[in-house]
Amino acid sequence: MNKGLLSGARALDLTDETGFICGKVLGELGIDVVKVERPGGDASRLIPPFHQDVPGVERSLYWKAFNTGKRGITLDIENPKGAEVFRELVSRVDFVIESFEPGYLQRIGLGYEALRAINPKIVIVSITPFGQKGPYSHYRSSELIAIAMSGVLNNTGDPDRPPVKESLDSGLFHAGVSGALGGVMAYYHSMIAGEGQQVDVSVQEVAASRLTSSILAWDLERVSLARDGHKSQMGPTSTDWFWACKDGHLFWHMLGGAFGAPANQALSDWMDEYLDENPLREVRDWMKFDKAGIAQEQWNRFASAIGPFFLRFTKDEIREQNLKRGTNATVANDPHDLLESEQLRGRGYWTHLDDPVLGDLKFPKYFFQSRDTENFSLTAAPQLGADNEEIYRNELGLTSEQIDELRNAHAI
Amino acid sequence: MPSEPTSQAPSAMGALAGVKVLDFGWAIVGSLTGKFLADHGAEVIRVESASRPDMTRVDRRYSKSSQSSLDDKPWFAHFNTSKHSLSLDLKNPRSRELLDRLIAWADVVNENFTPGTLQRLGLDYDYMKTINPDIIFISGSLFGQTGPLAEEWGIDGTGAAISGRLNLTGWPDRVPVTPSSGIYGDYVVPLMNATAVVAALAHREKTGLGQYMEASMFEVTAQEITPAVLDWQSNGRLAGRTGNRVSNASPHGVFPCAGDDRWCAIAVFSDQDWNDFVAAIGGPDWAADSRFATFEARKANEDELERLVAEWTSPRDPHEVMAYLQERGVRAAAVQGPADIIDNDPQLRERGFLQTVEHSVLGPFGHQMPPFRLSATPAQLRPAPNMGEHNEYICTELLGMSDPEYIELLLEDVFR
Repeated sequence: MNKGLLSGARALDLTDETGFICGKVLGELGIDVVKVERPGGDASRLIPPFHQDVPGVERSLYWKAFNTGKRGITLDIENPKGAEVFRELVSRVDFVIESFEPGYLQRIGLGYEALRAINPKIVIVSITPFGQKGPYSHYRSSELIAIAMSGVLNNTGDPDRPPVKESLDSGLFHAGVSGALGGVMAYYHSMIAGEGQQVDVSVQEVAASRLTSSILAWDLERVSLARDGHKSQMGPTSTDWFWACKDGHLFWHMLGGAFGAPANQALSDWMDEYLDENPLREVRDWMKFDKAGIAQEQWNRFASAIGPFFLRFTKDEIREQNLKRGTNATVANDPHDLLESEQLRGRGYWTHLDDPVLGDLKFPKYFFQSRDTENFSLTAAPQLGADNEEIYRNELGLTSEQIDELRNAHAI
Repeated sequence: MPSEPTSQAPSAMGALAGVKVLDFGWAIVGSLTGKFLADHGAEVIRVESASRPDMTRVDRRYSKSSQSSLDDKPWFAHFNTSKHSLSLDLKNPRSRELLDRLIAWADVVNENFTPGTLQRLGLDYDYMKTINPDIIFISGSLFGQTGPLAEEWGIDGTGAAISGRLNLTGWPDRVPVTPSSGIYGDYVVPLMNATAVVAALAHREKTGLGQYMEASMFEVTAQEITPAVLDWQSNGRLAGRTGNRVSNASPHGVFPCAGDDRWCAIAVFSDQDWNDFVAAIGGPDWAADSRFATFEARKANEDELERLVAEWTSPRDPHEVMAYLQERGVRAAAVQGPADIIDNDPQLRERGFLQTVEHSVLGPFGHQMPPFRLSATPAQLRPAPNMGEHNEYICTELLGMSDPEYIELLLEDVFR
């Protein structure tokens, strides 16, 4: 097998948590991604949870999760000597990934135009909460703030409670993948046409891009879709998507026509084995069942039987019966379930990455599979400044005196 | 401060000008994968069929959409900008010669049928490779092309459940939720698939080699909860739903504002953030209370803290809260609804989040841009095609068929 698709290319990654995922994706494509942190380490090294619940710059499980496959150096790019080294690095790489406040790099003389003067083919991926320009571009933000502004938060949660955020940092993750696509497109263009460019990603806009259904409802019909808890408003009737079982939750959604018929029949048959009164029997021919035409009353009758029915079973039983019967009921996995998943294990999704602090933990190995190249995370996230020696001495060819000088000037 | 002006003039050609894509993608994941390539200049031929139309060609939630037409659906229009449409009956044996020529023509094939479907049609990667040895092939699926669950099917909610994301979204005492609008995997996975395709194009440029690639919603989106997977392994803790609370900030939540179902979001991480927040809201007496003096104390008294913050936000307009607190260095936002983001958000408007495209049946309306901006080769949106709109162009101009050849295929009922 060959190394990743883009092996040979190089990137400098100056992001905080707003942009971690972009560099992680590029690293798995085989790009040599070097994380550039200020001396002492980035603040994002202190994001919980921590290994064995003990805080420390080498112990953030969040940081470790999203910086696999990267090397790491420390460099103060605000320091004149540090900036000089940074310029030298920029002349040697294909990508710079950053998530600073818009205008910051320009203020310290390292904006896009300055970097382009050093390296005309450079691709700069800038991932920020609101984008490079515009009235909110200097607003302070976080996952919650950007998602609130995107419209996604308003659409999430139970109607009788405030809107509620999605798991962990869904918006930042999505923005990172978006930055990776923009970056790789720009890299391809620079390969063909010899010119670099800046990729501008806004977390707010990336999240808003998911809202096709509420955008269309408002733009075309002036209807404002409201958050509907664990239900889904796909037509006039609100139908449940998520249910409780004995030891967790699951997804089961009734679909109409040929698409939904086998699963609807399978669930109805399964319910028949336990219930004297099974309202799903009201439907004689599931192939002809029009989901869009179901009345709320009928759905409520269905739900009042389906809900208690699922509560009879454990997650394992729901999984087993789905495979046996084709009910299409899908358990809401927890991390333990993911590590035990036969599907993921069978495909080699988990890999052991040896980390000097964490020891031997399992990490996801890839975003996608290929038959002919290995696009994998192969190393644990870097220790603070782990590759200073290798990069400054062996790659840039600095002497011990020069390195000491940088160290004395607090540049590295 | 505005960012620096760039001396670089944008190019009329997209970043992917000259790239040829044979697009069997459908529903959302497949359609968006092709769209991201098409909007950046690739020539994308969407292969579809009126006898088994895409679900977004028959969706009738909007008043402009009829039962009798396949060409008046806004969803399809959003997901298929800048593509050509070839309507083709894959089960008609005469369709094969046309497909073979298109496989030879293409640089890239995109598909997301249920695993095994193309193989049954005799159109899988191994076959295509015999015609076009350096073809780049991407498959999208829910679970992956291999493994015990490969042929299980599902939708975005299935993806939320299997990935572990669902279990972490919502309130601790309630059934978990996903956004009512704003599904996730269906939008993230196509970005990943298109990334793989463009990386493979660059790889081919260097090595001359094609590539077979496949991504699953399960595996792409499970990456998002890796910190929780490590937390389980390292600390034996199975993270649960926490509403809007996070362990390194307080207050961190959504608070009521004036108006019907109006809210704002406020996030206070460090002690400095806390001091800024307290100063911004006028240093009320309660903020000096020992119950809130340290981060640990604020965490321990979070219910009460949130109640007091809500008292401050309740009479205020969400956008006023945002502007007022942001001016004072506090992370704050209005929780925006559809009207806010489409009609009134100056930031999204400045970015050109929606671009007006003139659709041949639906008329002009706002279409979604790909969610990133390239400074030198910006995306350009052309209207989505009607069913089979480009049959003749593809056969005669692209593939160079003679008129009699094309008419013969027409008479054989290949285009349906």
